[in-house]
Parts: sequence; structure tokens; C-alpha cells
Amino acid sequence: MKIIAVTLAHLLVAAFAVSAAEDRREKVLKDRTEVQSIPQWIYNDLSKGVAEATRSGKPMLIVLRCIP
Amino acid sequence: MECKAFDEQLVRRDPEVADLMDRFVSVRLIQANAMDLGLFQFDYDLTFAVFFVNADKTIYGRFGSRSSQKDAAKEISIEGFRKAMQAALELHQNYPANKAALAGKKAPEPRFKVPEEYPSLRGKYRPTLDYEGKVVQSCMHCHQVRDAERELYRTQGKAIPDEVLYPWPMPDVIGLAFDPKEKAKVKAVTSGSSAQKDGFIVGDEILTLQGQPILSIADVQWVLHNTNGPAKLKADVLRGGQRLSLNLTLAEGWRRQSDIAWRPTSWDLRRMATGGLLLKEFPAADRRKAGLSDTDLALMVEHVGQYGDHAAGKRAGFQKNDVIVSVDGQTGRMTESQLFGYLLQKKMPGAKVSVGVLRGEQRVNLELPMQ
Repeated sequence: MKIIAVTLAHLLVAAFAVSAAEDRREKVLKDRTEVQSIPQWIYNDLSKGVAEATRSGKPMLIVLRCIP
Repeated sequence: MECKAFDEQLVRRDPEVADLMDRFVSVRLIQANAMDLGLFQFDYDLTFAVFFVNADKTIYGRFGSRSSQKDAAKEISIEGFRKAMQAALELHQNYPANKAALAGKKAPEPRFKVPEEYPSLRGKYRPTLDYEGKVVQSCMHCHQVRDAERELYRTQGKAIPDEVLYPWPMPDVIGLAFDPKEKAKVKAVTSGSSAQKDGFIVGDEILTLQGQPILSIADVQWVLHNTNGPAKLKADVLRGGQRLSLNLTLAEGWRRQSDIAWRPTSWDLRRMATGGLLLKEFPAADRRKAGLSDTDLALMVEHVGQYGDHAAGKRAGFQKNDVIVSVDGQTGRMTESQLFGYLLQKKMPGAKVSVGVLRGEQRVNLELPMQ
């Protein structure tokens, strides 16, 4: 009985983890699609940002975002 | 407001800041993989942070602060962000004449250039995300950098130093609270604090700290973060239109007053120090009922970890609602954050620490394994 309960608990945790990962996957992909559609943003490419800042003479505003 | 909402305001270029954003090259980075640790030193427990940077990678300032789990965005506002942007643009206009004053905004070269060089992260991540495959698993979180740094000390059997255990202290540790709608304007000074003794008053605006131009609360934190031990910091302050110079005294052990319990990285500290136990202050009324004074140690077990290394406390016999009243012979009042410091600086992995708990009316002695 105890083994069944522990197994069920582990399965529940695993199912939750898979669901959370799926949720985050959607968020990460959505973030890329949305931000890349806005021309003023350079997405996930610091070198490109540095090159553009050098060319334009503007400073960089770098947002670090860890998508939870 | 949540960090997410604030972040979305920037992404869609909120009208309140769009005009200033046009004067920057806007870059969004969403991974810690291959992150340049020489440039991007910030509070890795944050999920949102901003750097204002010259093309030559001179840092003008940082933005983004947090002090609690529930109210993630109480230290930031779009008004404060706008003022930080304006100040960054002024610094950019005066660059490179002001280069010397900005030198302290960047730390000396770190031991590891990118997170993947930390032993506990080595070989686990690629420099780019796997968008076509398991993108989530391929993405390293910023907090993993702090976890990896602490793990390095632990696996080497060394005490984790204060600056690694209590990173990015909020200014309330020294008695200052800032208005999030301003750059670094004092909105409250704690009575009896070192800041009050140093002469700070409500309304003071810190213009520079240790010679560094201050654009935000995060910039104040940067200076605090890089100050070890007792010190007197030099602050240029604007008060009623007049500039004046004040000292900001950091007393011995000042950093240990920081509350780090809210930080995501404290989850791993709980594994190391308390075997997965989540501890909360025992309420004052319950202290009195239990015959404990305000100066006695009394931390209640709010949650007992259930799996793997986080179940070490459970396996040692700890139960939810146990009240810890002694640790290794220590019976003086400590917060959970201070207990982390005591255990992770004095007890190495493999050690067992005797812990006395109150369980209802009973006193129980247990042994907590260090990991």
C-alpha cells in the first residue's frame, strides 16, 4: 500500500513538472514571437546590439528577462 | 504590479517611456547561457533587470530591485525607470569625460567568464537555446549562477562568505528606504539606524555613492554589494537644492541583517543547511505561551521537504510545526536567513548538528545533517 502511495505521489510530481515545462515552453516561444515582431527590439543577440550602438552612437538599454 | 507587467510595459514600449527608449538601442536577453559574467553582474535572484551600457561596454547604470516574494515589483516603477533612463542619457552625452567616475560600475574580471565554466554547470548547457527541441530544458536561469557559486564553496568544504550568502543587500539593512518613483530619493530613515546617525533625512537624494553616479536603487545596491566588512561610504546628497557630503556607515556584520528568505536561491540553501525545512518566525503570542522570550531562538517548521536532498530534514525526524529552540548549542534569536549564515559558515557537508525542538508540550532532540 505504501509503495503504491509513494509511486502515485511521484507520478503526480512528474505530471506537474511536465505541465509546468509545457507552460514555460509556450511562454518562451510566445516571448520570442512577440518581441521579434517589434522592430525596435534586438532579440537575444548582444553582439548585434553592440554593433548597432556603435553604428548609431546610441547607448544600449539591455533588458535581462528570465521567463518564469 | 508584477515584474511581468512591468516587463510587458517595456516590451510594448509604453507611451510613458517610448520617447526615451527611441534614444537607446533596445536589446532583450532571455537566457543566462553564455552570459558575459564580466559585464552582467546583477542580482541573479531577479527575473527582470536592466543595464544601461555604452557600445564599449562601459556601464552607466543598473535598474531592477526586489525585496520580497509576494510583491515583486514594489521597488520599481515606470516613473523611476524614466528618470533612470534620463540620467543614463546624460551620462552618455558627457562620455567619455566621465569615464573615471563610471569605472567602479564594473567589477574586476570574475573567476569564471561564463556560467558554464562553474563546475556544477559544466557540460550541462549549450551557448544557445534549442528552440526546435526542448527549449525550456536548454535555458539556464540566472539564479543558477548564484547557486553554482555557493555550491563551489560547499563542495570545497569552505565557508560561504557573507557577500555570497547575503548578496545585493537592500538599503533597508542600513536604515534607508527609497522612493521607487525616483532614482534614489530617501522616503524613510529607520529610527536609531546607522543612516540616521550619519545624518540622512527623508527627501535626501543620493547623487553619487563612492563617486559613482546613482541612477536607481539597484545602483545603491551595487555599491553595497561590493563593500565587504565595516566601511564608511562617501555619499553626495542633494537636499533642498543644496549639495552636501555625508558618510554612510556600514558596521561590523551589517550584511547579515539582510532577509534572503524570499530569494529563489534560498531554496538551495535550505537543502544545504536545513535539509529542506522551511522556517518561519514563531509568532510573538505563541512565544509567550511556550515560555520563550523575545531574545530566544524560536523558528517554526512551516514546510518539510519530501524528496531527495530536500527530505534530509524529514528523514532526521523533523515535523511540520516543530519549533526549533536550539541549534548547535545556540539559543539566541535568529531569523532563518541568519541561521543559514551560522550553519553554512561553521558546518561543512557531512557534519551533524544537534537541534532542540518543541513539539507541542514536548522537547525533542534531533540531529540535522549538513549537505
